[in-house]
Amino acid sequence: MFDAERFIEKTVAKLKEDVTKKALIAFSGGVDSTVSAVLVNRAIGNQLIAVNVDTGYMRKNEPENVKKMMKELGLNFRFVDANKEFYHALKGVEDPEKKRKIIGEKFIRIFERVAEEEQIEYLVQGTIAPDWIESGGGLRDTIKSHHNVGGLPKTMKLKLVEPLKDLYKDEVRKVARILHLKVSERQPFPGPGLAIRIIGEATPERTELVREACDIVEKEIEHAVEKGLMEKPWQYFAVLIPIKTVGVHGDKRAYGNTIAIRAVQSVDAMTCHYSTIPHEVLDTISTKITNTLKEKVNRIVYDVTNKPPGTVEWE
Amino acid sequence: MVRIYVIDNGGQWTHREWRTLRDLDVDTRIVPNTTAFKELQKENIDGLVLSGGAPRIALEGSLGNCGEYLEKARFPILGICAGHQFMARFYGGKAKPSKIPEFGKIELTLLKKNDPLFEGVSKKSIVWESHNDEVTVLPKGFERLAESENCKIQAMRHKKKIMYGLQFHPEVEHTDYGEQIFKNFVKLCEK
Repeated sequence: MFDAERFIEKTVAKLKEDVTKKALIAFSGGVDSTVSAVLVNRAIGNQLIAVNVDTGYMRKNEPENVKKMMKELGLNFRFVDANKEFYHALKGVEDPEKKRKIIGEKFIRIFERVAEEEQIEYLVQGTIAPDWIESGGGLRDTIKSHHNVGGLPKTMKLKLVEPLKDLYKDEVRKVARILHLKVSERQPFPGPGLAIRIIGEATPERTELVREACDIVEKEIEHAVEKGLMEKPWQYFAVLIPIKTVGVHGDKRAYGNTIAIRAVQSVDAMTCHYSTIPHEVLDTISTKITNTLKEKVNRIVYDVTNKPPGTVEWE
Repeated sequence: MVRIYVIDNGGQWTHREWRTLRDLDVDTRIVPNTTAFKELQKENIDGLVLSGGAPRIALEGSLGNCGEYLEKARFPILGICAGHQFMARFYGGKAKPSKIPEFGKIELTLLKKNDPLFEGVSKKSIVWESHNDEVTVLPKGFERLAESENCKIQAMRHKKKIMYGLQFHPEVEHTDYGEQIFKNFVKLCEK
């Protein structure tokens, strides 16, 4: 069985040997990058700089929360507001693989800028097994280019360090629990963020819609889990489908977008079963989203696809 | 410690096979299917898992050195998905694109009682699938062990050697008796 304590010991020892100069960690505030940051921090102390990038595709209040977290963890950190840069780069882009690759490259270029200013040689990433498996390469087909693997540009100045490369999420969570990290049970959030929860072009306006909808789905599901109405899903969120359908809003014709509710159960993200959300919870989510987003969204659907054939995220 | 390697044919779940074996305290590694049999022999392995791979990969050609392993091995081999389809072809059976490919949750029905690979597995159970191709003609010297509604050869075995082929995926978390099947395979390799 996977022994988290031994893993921590071995990894920190190896990092001490391998990382001999200043390093930067791509820090999102999720379980993987937080665990990686803490391990590297144990190995090289404040020679590690955590960099968090606000891409504009973050969830509600996320940039503030992540800043708070980096402080609490006592990390040496930098926060980069790159909203405009990302929105600009994704203008007119509809293809999901293109989105992922553009975002992956943008991240690296931003990290390289920081690295140059701080004379950093190593880039630490919280890559885990499914990231590189699904990114393909060699014999393996590309299911999707995870921004931190298949999304990486071909030429890169920084040396990559990926201490969690062979672990699955449940194993990373075990490590996080031993390290007493609050994020240990946090749901996964993909690096490209809300950009891949918007089918089609990820404009700032559409991002606002899906951000609000994701927030409602998260809050209502967490509320239902607390009340014991359902099991906590592995991942739960909203997807914006910019397909318009007809509705009626107070005796007036409405013609707005569609939001899909997605929640899945999994252990390692390699296979997933869709979550059975009780109808009363779906009902609350549906009403809240349509009442909040008014003329922009007038239809809610519930995704009942397993993986395979689907994947967790829609893009 | 029993030593079982996983031959990587490029499957999305190759790593899961490795992980399941590792969690059962097996000494395991993922090795590319281009590894020569001689190299495997040097490592004194007790068994081999042939992983799955992309669609059509097992329908023609040699699937790396998998043929050499099947021909020369004196230890148990478990072929999964593409590994299973290749095994069937290698022994003279046929594998073709499925009329109805299966993805995700499927009900498996066992056809034979008391096969050691399925010890402790219910006659009907949930397994997870992900295949575009399947074995359509059983090779000579093999017998059928399990089926599903849309795929008649979900599991097969060589009548004399300890060689199994599975169309479904015992390595993924959502397959009901997946770990049990691996445990049974490990037992067969220990003998």
